[in-house]
Amino acid sequence: MFIEYTWLVPLVPMICFLLIGLIGRKTPEKGGYFAIAGALISFVIAALISYEYLTGDTYPNPVVESIQWFVIPGSTDFVINLGYYVDGLTCLMMLFASFISTLIFIYSIGYMGDQGERKNRYYAEVSLFLTGMLGLVVSSNFLEMFIFWEVMGLCSYLLIGFWSFRHPEGDAASANAASAAKKAFLVTRLGDVCLMAGLFILLGEFHSLDYSTLFDPANIAAVDSDMLTLAMFLIFGGVIGKSAQFPLHDWLPDAMAGPTTVSSLIHAATMVKAGVYLVARGYPLFIQNAEVMLFVGVIGGVTAFIAATMALNNMNIKKVLAYSTISQLGYMILALGAGGYLVALGMGMEGAEGAALITAGSAGMVAGCFHMMNHAFFKALLFMCSGSVIHAVGTEDMREMGGLGKHMKITSLTMLIGSLSIAGFPFFSGFWSKDLVLEIAMEAGHDGTVWFTVMWILAIITAFMTAFYMFRMWFMTFMGEEGHATQHCHGESPKTMTFPLIVLAVLAFGSGFLILFGLDAMVSFTVTPDAFIVGGGEAGGFHHFEHIFTSPYTYLTIVLALVGIGIAYLMYAKKTMNPGAFNKDGESWLYKALTKRWWFPDLYNQISWKLGYGVARGVNFIDRQIVDGTVNGLSGAVVGGGDALSKVQSGHVQDYSSIVLLGISVISVLFIVIAKVMGGI
Amino acid sequence: MIPIEYYLVLGAILFAIGAYGAMTKSNAIVVLMCIELMLNAANINFVAFGAFTTDIMGQVFVIMSISVAAAEVAVGIAILLNAYKMRKTTELDDEQLRTLRW
Repeated sequence: MFIEYTWLVPLVPMICFLLIGLIGRKTPEKGGYFAIAGALISFVIAALISYEYLTGDTYPNPVVESIQWFVIPGSTDFVINLGYYVDGLTCLMMLFASFISTLIFIYSIGYMGDQGERKNRYYAEVSLFLTGMLGLVVSSNFLEMFIFWEVMGLCSYLLIGFWSFRHPEGDAASANAASAAKKAFLVTRLGDVCLMAGLFILLGEFHSLDYSTLFDPANIAAVDSDMLTLAMFLIFGGVIGKSAQFPLHDWLPDAMAGPTTVSSLIHAATMVKAGVYLVARGYPLFIQNAEVMLFVGVIGGVTAFIAATMALNNMNIKKVLAYSTISQLGYMILALGAGGYLVALGMGMEGAEGAALITAGSAGMVAGCFHMMNHAFFKALLFMCSGSVIHAVGTEDMREMGGLGKHMKITSLTMLIGSLSIAGFPFFSGFWSKDLVLEIAMEAGHDGTVWFTVMWILAIITAFMTAFYMFRMWFMTFMGEEGHATQHCHGESPKTMTFPLIVLAVLAFGSGFLILFGLDAMVSFTVTPDAFIVGGGEAGGFHHFEHIFTSPYTYLTIVLALVGIGIAYLMYAKKTMNPGAFNKDGESWLYKALTKRWWFPDLYNQISWKLGYGVARGVNFIDRQIVDGTVNGLSGAVVGGGDALSKVQSGHVQDYSSIVLLGISVISVLFIVIAKVMGGI
Repeated sequence: MIPIEYYLVLGAILFAIGAYGAMTKSNAIVVLMCIELMLNAANINFVAFGAFTTDIMGQVFVIMSISVAAAEVAVGIAILLNAYKMRKTTELDDEQLRTLRW
C-alpha cells in the first residue's frame, strides 16, 4: 500500500530543493521550513513503508520494483533499470537518515538564523543532500546508487565550501573553506573513480547492475571469481574515499570548514554513512572472497586506531569530533569486514562447521549496521552540541572555552550524554554496538586469522582513546576555569536548537535498547543456497545482553573507558595531572606527529606535487609542443604559402600572360614527352 | 610546292615575336599589335593546314577569326582611347593606368 510509493522518499526532498531554489527567497527563513517539511514527510513515508514492509508477507525477501531505463545492445544486452529496492537495511537507513536530517534542519533555523540571503542556498543544498542519501538507500541497482552517490559528493563540495565567499571570520577562513571543499571533492573523487571501475567490471560480468540479479548465488557462481574479487576491491576503494577510511581519511577533518550543521549532516545522516551502507549492501558480493573481507577489516581497524590518535591532542572542538567520526566509521567497517571474513570462510566449508561460521559471521553485519545507527544519533547530537557551543562563544578553539557548563545547561548535559554514548559507557547506546563490534573482531581473530586479533587489540586501544579524547573535549569545554571566550558567551542557544538536542540525547542514550526489540533481526544476514537475505533473522533480544555481560572482555572495555574518562577528568577538570608531563610540553616527537596528522596532509601534497604536477607537466608538454605544434605548424605553412603565392598576384596583365604562356608551354612539352614515351600519337 | 614546314616555322616565329612583345612592351598599343601578330600566326597555321589537307574549313575559320579579331581590336582601341583621354597615357606600368584596377 505504501511500499509502492517508495520512490517518493527521495523525490520529496528533491521537490523541496527545487521549491527552495525557485521560490524560497520569498518565504520566511528563506525556504528553511520547506526543507524541514520535506525531510519530515520523507521520514513519515519511510516510517509507513518500513512498518508495512516489516509486518508484511514478503519480509524478509526484498521488494523490488523497477522500470527499464536503457539498454546497451551487445551479444547479451546490458539492461539498466531504475527502481527501488526495499529490505531491512533500506528501512533502517532511510528511517535514521530522514529522521536525523529533520532534526538537523530544525536546528539549522536557529544555527543559520543570522546568515541572511545565503540561507536560501544552504537549505536548497541540504535538501539536495538528503535526496542524495535517500535516493542512494532506496536505489535498486548500482548505477542508480552511483548517481545519488555523486549527488552527495557534489552537495558536500558545495556545503563544505559554503563559507568560501565572505566567511564571518575573514578571508583566510574563506580560503580555507574553499580549499577544504576542493580537498573533499578531489579525495572522494579518487575513490569514486575506483568505484566506477568496479561497477564497470560488474556490468561486464553480470550484464546488469540490478541488486536482485547481482545478489543471486546462481549468477555469482556463473561469473569469473577473479574479476569479481577485483571489482570488489575497486568498489571498496570507493568506500575508502567516501567513508574517509585510511589512507583517504584526511579530507574529513578539513571538511569542518563548513557550517557545523553540515558537518552533522555529513557525519551522522548522510555522506560518510553511504560508504558503510555500500559495504553492507554489497555484502553478498563482498563475502565471495575472504581476502577482500580481510582487507576491509584491516582498513577499518587501522582507520579506527589512527583517527583516534589524532583526536588526542587536537584543540579544535569540531576536529576532535571529526576524528572520532573517522574512528567510529573504522569500527563499522571493521565489524563488516570481520563478520564477512567469517561468512566467507564458512561458505568455503562444508557441513555444520561452515554453517556455524556463517552464523557467527553474520553478526558482523548486525554489529556494523547497529553501530552505524547508534553512531548516527550520538554523532548528530555531538555535532549539534558543538554547534550550539560555537554559536554561543564564537570560537572553535577549546582552550578559549572552559567553564561553559554553568552558562549552557542543556547543551552541556546533552553533550555529556553523547560523549558517554560514544565512549562506550555501560547502558548508553554506543556501549552495546561497540561491544558487538569488538566481539565480532575477536571472533574473527579466533576462528579466522590472527590479523583480526591485531585489529581487536587496536580497537580496544581505540575504545580507551575514544573515552579519553571525548571527555578531554567535554571537560575542556564545560568544566574548569572560565576561558577567554566564555566571558562573551550569549548563554543557552534558542529553542529551535535545544529541542533537537534533547530529542537526540534521548535517542543517543536509548537507541541501543532497540536491539531488544528485534533490530538485529531487521539487518541480519542469512545465507541460503539460493539467496542472500538481509533481515528476517532470529532476534537475539536479551541474549545479546546476557552475552555481553558474561564476557570478560566487556569488562575490559568498560574499565578502559572508565580509565580514559578518569584520566581526562584528572587532566582537564581537576588539573591534578599535567598533560604536559606526557608530551614534554608539546615537544615530544609523538605530539608533533599527531598535530601534523601523521604527515598525511604533507603526504597528499607530496603526491599531488610529484605525481600530479609531473603528469601535468608531461601533459602540458604534449599539449603545447606536440598538439599545438602540429596545429601551429600547419597553419604557419598555410599562411606562409599563401603569403608567398600572393606575390604572384601582381596586377600586371603581362605577368599573368607570362604565367599562362609558361603553363601552356609546360603542358605542351609534357604532352610531347608523354606522346614520345607512349609511342607516337 | 612550298613545304608545310615553312609555313609552320613562319607561324611559330610570328607567334614568338608576338608573345615576346605582349609580355615585355609597356605601351598598350604595341601590346595590342603583338596580340594581333599572335592571332595572325595562328591564322597562317590554319590556312596552311587547310591547304595542306585540302579542307576548306581552315580558310573558313580564318575568315571568322579575322572578323572577330577586328571587332576585338576595335573594342580594345576604343578602351585605350578613352583611357588616354582620361589619364593622358597608354603606358601599362603607369600609375595613372594602374588605378583603373579595382
